[in-house]
Amino acid sequence: MSAATTSEQRVRPEMSGPILGMVLFVASEAMFFAAFFGAYFTIRANASTWPPKGIPHLKIDIASILTVILVSSSVVLQMAIRAIRTGDPRRAMAWLGATVALGVTFLGLQLYDYSQLGFGVKDGTFGTLFYVMTGLHMAHVFGGVIFLSLVLWQGIAGLLSRTRYEPLEAGAIYWHFVDVVWICLFSVFYLLTPR
Amino acid sequence: MKPARPAVRALAGRLVPAASVALLSSCAKQGISPEAQDVHRLYVTIMIIAAPVFVAVEGILLWCVFRYRKRDDEPASQAVGGARSLGVFFVIPAIIISVLFPFGEATLMRIEQRAVPQVQIKVEGFQWEWTFLYLNEGIFVSGKTLVRPAEMVLPVDEPVQIQLTSRDVVHSFFIPDLLFKRDAIPGRTSTFTFTPTELGTYQSQCAEFCGLWHSKMTFDVRVVSPLDYQAWIKEQRKAAKSVTCEPQGTTLSMIAHNISWNHYCLAVPANTPFTVNVTNQDVGIQHNFSIYDSFFEKKNYFKSPRITGPASETLNVSGLPPGHYYFQCDVHGPAMSGAFIVK
Amino acid sequence: MAVIQAPPRVEPEPAPRRLLGWLTTTDHKKIGILYLVNSFSFFAIAGVFALLMRTELARPGIQVFAPHAYNQIFTLHGTLMIFLVIFPLLAGFGNYFVPLQIGALDMAFPRINALSFWLLPVGGLTILSGFLAKGGAAAAAWTGYPPLSEQLGTGQDLWIAGLILVGTASILGGVNFIVTIIRMRAPGMTMMRMPLFVWSILATSLLVILAAPVLTAGLIMLFADRRLGTAFFDPTQGGVPLLWQHVFWFFGHPEVYMLILGAWGVVSEVIPVFSGKPIFSYRGVVLSFLMITALSFTVWAHHMFATGAVELPFFSVTTELISIPTGVLFFIWLATLWKGKLRLEPPMLFALGFIAMFLIGGIDGVWAASPAMDFAIHDTYWVVAHLHYVLFGGTIFGVMAAMYYWFPKMTGRMLSRRLGIWQFWVQLVGFNLTFFPMHILGLRGMPRRIADYAPDRGWSFLNLVASTGAFVIATAMIIFFVNIFLTLRKPRTAPDDPWGANTLEWATSSPPPPHNFDSLPPIRSNRPVHDLREAERREIT
Repeated sequence: MSAATTSEQRVRPEMSGPILGMVLFVASEAMFFAAFFGAYFTIRANASTWPPKGIPHLKIDIASILTVILVSSSVVLQMAIRAIRTGDPRRAMAWLGATVALGVTFLGLQLYDYSQLGFGVKDGTFGTLFYVMTGLHMAHVFGGVIFLSLVLWQGIAGLLSRTRYEPLEAGAIYWHFVDVVWICLFSVFYLLTPR
Repeated sequence: MKPARPAVRALAGRLVPAASVALLSSCAKQGISPEAQDVHRLYVTIMIIAAPVFVAVEGILLWCVFRYRKRDDEPASQAVGGARSLGVFFVIPAIIISVLFPFGEATLMRIEQRAVPQVQIKVEGFQWEWTFLYLNEGIFVSGKTLVRPAEMVLPVDEPVQIQLTSRDVVHSFFIPDLLFKRDAIPGRTSTFTFTPTELGTYQSQCAEFCGLWHSKMTFDVRVVSPLDYQAWIKEQRKAAKSVTCEPQGTTLSMIAHNISWNHYCLAVPANTPFTVNVTNQDVGIQHNFSIYDSFFEKKNYFKSPRITGPASETLNVSGLPPGHYYFQCDVHGPAMSGAFIVK
Repeated sequence: MAVIQAPPRVEPEPAPRRLLGWLTTTDHKKIGILYLVNSFSFFAIAGVFALLMRTELARPGIQVFAPHAYNQIFTLHGTLMIFLVIFPLLAGFGNYFVPLQIGALDMAFPRINALSFWLLPVGGLTILSGFLAKGGAAAAAWTGYPPLSEQLGTGQDLWIAGLILVGTASILGGVNFIVTIIRMRAPGMTMMRMPLFVWSILATSLLVILAAPVLTAGLIMLFADRRLGTAFFDPTQGGVPLLWQHVFWFFGHPEVYMLILGAWGVVSEVIPVFSGKPIFSYRGVVLSFLMITALSFTVWAHHMFATGAVELPFFSVTTELISIPTGVLFFIWLATLWKGKLRLEPPMLFALGFIAMFLIGGIDGVWAASPAMDFAIHDTYWVVAHLHYVLFGGTIFGVMAAMYYWFPKMTGRMLSRRLGIWQFWVQLVGFNLTFFPMHILGLRGMPRRIADYAPDRGWSFLNLVASTGAFVIATAMIIFFVNIFLTLRKPRTAPDDPWGANTLEWATSSPPPPHNFDSLPPIRSNRPVHDLREAERREIT
């Protein structure tokens, strides 16, 4: 049943239940990551030097490529949404496929970056924060890749159309959120860490 | 029922509230320092505000139950309150808070004032006792879990500064008669001051759950006259200095059991390397063996890795110049320490 | 208007199919009952733990068990009561009654609803399985402060895992409730015509989705420190033990409001019905709920005053501010009772008991809100008194009001009034006997979480009194369970609206059909069933 509408109230296009549900879920995920950022700033404020001694300098090159990949994936995903809104589900699925591919590339490249870093999760507070936060983010990217792949499958099977594309919309909300979290992580670990 | 005579009513009118306040405020300790007495006053102030609120609300509740019990089938008045009633409802607790908060703040500021301390004690909590290091007097007192609570002896009427920390988990330094506690957090030193003004022995204990023997992590605070305090310091110093022993070869055998060493005095020949065999018999508990200049830990001469019991290890230590050193387990600090003589 | 409907004649299903039905149901009413059954089961377990604790503490000296066992028992008592009993009881009533009260068919996401439930017994059993682990169950208190919680064995990991499951369940449930309430109200039911119980569940759900994830994050940090070699809380590697306390209490304080709002909602329904008047200020209750929800995120460090590491005046102010909307609620309830026609049925008795007891718990908090005073009473039995006055004197009394009020709707049978009255008085006496002396024990310096105390502390007599009271409470609970057991064997004769109530759940049969409503009355106020009854009465006269 839809929310109350009487003759006194204007009929407004409203967010559907599942989309509202995804927005609320993303809000809860935002609080989840906020706790870790809180941990970061608390530990950093408590440390006499930052980064702590012994941590090799974080090189920004691979991380910058990762940022470009993820931001592009969000742009491409929005193109998918635009395509399906204009009634072109096939083009939408092509863009969606590109999003998924970019997401997988992000994961692979990040794993490669991990192998090049020269410090591990057990290397004190910096290793702790870096790996746990980016690791959890990766898990969320992975979840998003799975979700979008399922939507892609639905789309290829012809189940999405101009009037019914809620899963794509929900997936996009989640994916953009995951992108924003990466931008925050990138800023904190690469831009805001003194050299 | 004859109404009570005006005089009696007036007396009751003064006596009953006074008796109630006295009764209710006697539940809290009076306090053995000016800071504690401030807190007691805050307790009473809050009681003076809270008790009438309690009586009024419970009273109205009971009144409604008796007076407005359904006795006929007439419908009740369907009156609801408007914005004005709601406003009143918000204003009443707001007024109470605006009276309460300044009192609380003022008390807090008074007890946080720091007088120039005459006695400075570094307090270390560890699982499950306390060590008190008297920084100016150069002595320390340590409790022994389940055997002997630590005793903090203090001179009356002198400000005492405590520098509080923990060696392992979070503990809390709680002296009920001071109406005060502060958490002991590893990696952090917390400083506060108080002035005990009453002679006596005051039972205290850890107030932050810290594991197995949390309930036994007690200590005593004994407030004595300044003369007695000086005498006690002298006694402690004498006892520390009197610990002496002779070198008996270059192999030392140390057993850690129940958070104690089997020897309180070790001696080795000067400038000769020696070995220490350490056996840790405390299951699941870590110990190590370190040598410092004194319990002030200003200079470290040797530090072994920590081992978790049951385990043994053999430590090789290079020779030391002659002197009176200090050894301890770093996990438990002075609670597990002794004199290390090099002759 | 009480209509007695003959129960429809249905052939009883064969037993195995019925059981499978319960295991696979996505019907919010069945799920609601599952929540209640699960919670009362854990209530019995955690309650037995409490009796064990009080038996040990009745006299100085170790009588029943050694400290390590005691430490596990009190840890699990707290953890289970909070996460497996109190919160799910309120969520269970929410599950059953929110869709009914807004005139909806079911929750927004019925299958996620089922998942949310089933994660609970799995999580609870995971936590309990710690007793089988080497070193025993979790034993770092329900607050799990490191470094202590990093020292203990596998039982602590099972505690972490169980709580992550329970937390996830509650977040999914919170999303479900919010979408249901925002999107699935029947025509005519604007937000400001929703029952106050629905508002309380909405507020609770907002707290859940914003605060529970923070606990999950903290638990992951703790697990990582314990098993992955990280350094979040380990001071020897630059970690910050206090970080846990900040993360935990940022969740922990909204958590306690998650544990009370639903009860406030119930009381705000029951008091008007049994006073024969509308709630004195509907807007006031809604405003208070929302203010408390918002403010609850600003007070967390009042749990950390004694660390000396937090901004005392700020958190003292916010803590005292939150007492303002709470006070408003009391005024509104009292004003609702005033000049009403009070029917002292069991739901009303428990609601009145709630007001009387929650008042004490709330006033207790005023002492603790002042840091200087808190230094004296933090981590003492004063806090144990305070928390039980609000969670037991408050929420459990509210839950009992809900049980007696809504039992006929859920099962078609009225709980025994006589047993209900007995339960109320035995519970009231037992509860106060147990917990009131703890105020004095706290002021006398008795710390919390101790397995034993020395005979020369002056605490022995009051502990004996408290322990006696615990067994009186147990008696009340036995009366309660006997009442339920006996009542369930009676035939279903409860009418649609046995109490002459106000909200939509009373506009359908007891219990409701699977599709909830055959028809809905017109919704033009926050008391649609009352309005219908009045309209029919006016028609007759």
